[in-house]
Amino acid sequence: MEQVYEDPADVALAEGLGLDAPKETDSEMTEKIPVKSPKKRFKIDLEEIYGTAFAAVPLIGFLIFGAIPLVLAFAMAFLDIPGYSIDGAEWAGFDNFVYIFEDPLFGESILNTIILGASTFISQIFALAIAYLLSRDIKGRGIWRIIYFIPYVCSVVAITLMWRNIFNPSFGIINQILGKGGLGNGAINWLGEPGLYYVTVIIMSVWSGMGYGILLYSAALTNVNQSSIEAAKIDGAGPFTQFFRIVLPSVSPTTFYLLIMGVIGLLQAFAVTNVLTPNGGPDNQGVTIVFYMYRYIMEYDGKMGVASAAAWVLTALILAVTGLQFLGSRRWVKYD
Amino acid sequence: MIDETAVALPQEGLSSDLPETELSSEISEQDLLEQDLSEQDVPKRQKQKYHSAKTGAIVSKVFIYFVLVLYATIILLPFLIVIITSLKTWEDARSLVFTWIPPQGFTLEGYSMAFNEYANVDAALPMLLSGFFNTLLYILPPTLIGLFTSSLSAYAFSKLRFRAKKWMYPALLATMMIPGTIMIVPQFSIYDMIGWVDTPLPLMIPGMFGAAACVFFMRQFYAGIPDSLVEAAKLDGLGYFGIFFKIMVPLSVPALLAQGLLGFIGGYNDYLGPLMYLQSSDLYTLQIALRDVAGTYGDNMPNVAMAASIIALIPMLIVYFFTQRYFISGIVSSGLKD
Repeated sequence: MEQVYEDPADVALAEGLGLDAPKETDSEMTEKIPVKSPKKRFKIDLEEIYGTAFAAVPLIGFLIFGAIPLVLAFAMAFLDIPGYSIDGAEWAGFDNFVYIFEDPLFGESILNTIILGASTFISQIFALAIAYLLSRDIKGRGIWRIIYFIPYVCSVVAITLMWRNIFNPSFGIINQILGKGGLGNGAINWLGEPGLYYVTVIIMSVWSGMGYGILLYSAALTNVNQSSIEAAKIDGAGPFTQFFRIVLPSVSPTTFYLLIMGVIGLLQAFAVTNVLTPNGGPDNQGVTIVFYMYRYIMEYDGKMGVASAAAWVLTALILAVTGLQFLGSRRWVKYD
Repeated sequence: MIDETAVALPQEGLSSDLPETELSSEISEQDLLEQDLSEQDVPKRQKQKYHSAKTGAIVSKVFIYFVLVLYATIILLPFLIVIITSLKTWEDARSLVFTWIPPQGFTLEGYSMAFNEYANVDAALPMLLSGFFNTLLYILPPTLIGLFTSSLSAYAFSKLRFRAKKWMYPALLATMMIPGTIMIVPQFSIYDMIGWVDTPLPLMIPGMFGAAACVFFMRQFYAGIPDSLVEAAKLDGLGYFGIFFKIMVPLSVPALLAQGLLGFIGGYNDYLGPLMYLQSSDLYTLQIALRDVAGTYGDNMPNVAMAASIIALIPMLIVYFFTQRYFISGIVSSGLKD
């Protein structure tokens, strides 16, 4: 507890004794002094007005284009909506939820989303490995980084069409390299065979998703404390020990950030499988949760309520996974 | 906090990365390295002394470069394959034996066919071109205006005193946590009610109010500009807008550029939004036009589909190569939030 000195003499005494003089006295005194002329007070109000107005624009945008839809999103799940507009919508209770949970495709879409989302972990491991190599004494770091980042700036549509061509069972180069090309006999059907389809999509996602991780890990690795690595070397730690004991913990905030963003992004995956197989892929394995929602918005009339119910489940899933990650992060994320 | 070194990362280029003499001649065989080994006039005896320690270093160097070259190949090779496919006749492109040099020779057939696809009989421009111009038309205004509103808001949060700041800033950050796709259903319904479906407005208007992530990033940047500068400008009689335009904006051009580029690339490559809201083919963005052209030719004439993909990729790649410095620093610093 800080001692409060009322008397100025006490303050002087306290200062003389080297004690902490109460700092509050200072501010209290300045506040009490009535220096504000009417003009100055007007100016301060002006700052208040300008500041609030400037700062408010993005929030107003969110209120209009985010908050209203957000509230509506929860309401719509309980409505039976004819067509697109909620005019003439009727209360449906939990019908939409019953519908999606009885629809086996919805369960499959959750499973598909999770399986395809595994690519985020694979991307991260590879990204860290590449970034670690880039952090060593090498030439042309800038050039390597520019190359590795190319897929990130490319459009999903173009990239997916590219890979679709490369994975084509008959004329695609992958099958030809593997000696499995040609029609029919033994051709690997990358895009048409259930199970294998997952592999194809994951390969594509890792290929295009690594650049971002490499970039962030590279930045994080430049901040790794070199002296603690030197110290570990002197203590006889090999490269593996150095990596797992020093490097890995010190980039853990980046790992955490990438995990959170990667999982949130992949739970909302849509474009890759939609471009690759607009009809949903073999056994509907390309139907992610958002793909499922998209169908019920755009393709099936009067099913907006179903799409909203699916959005609820997606929200719950994202919240649960993110929450779990935050809880788990206390064990392994090390902030300096 | 944005780390200075992290932001400055991409600026280090080929030149000053490492001491010249440290690499051995074995590595110089890798043609990607342009190192100068002529300075290795180390006396022989001294060289032998370091030999065993150096061998390990050399082996690990070779390994590192091997992996880096391999990964670069994995990234670049698909592009090369696709470029070659796009330059083939459709017979060669569908050939069951892939050829690096097509037997029927290289041709621009695929490109001319991709450019001959029109949205409808009345269309003045081929679909890919009108898609490209539509994209610019839809993306540039929200990117520029959004950049302005975001940075103005960031300036207020960082340099102006107002009471609501206490709750407004956390509220804004909280909006970043809400995943966008959750709102696609009601948004579609609302835009349908106000007649915005089948117009580009849903893709344009919301972005003009600024983006929370951009506000966050710019606020971090403005925090680095000394308050005294702002105070001095105030004494000189500059108004709040004046301070923003004459002090904050000129001092933050690289950061603004980085954020603008990120916004632009996001819009250029957006897929779900245009797919939902643009239904008439003359309104299509480049990505949707590409999907359409590729859907028409698909696997029957892969050369056309690949040519269309290359056409769609080229503008962004050009932007990337010219601006990658800002680009990469923008990504790195927006990813390093505390």
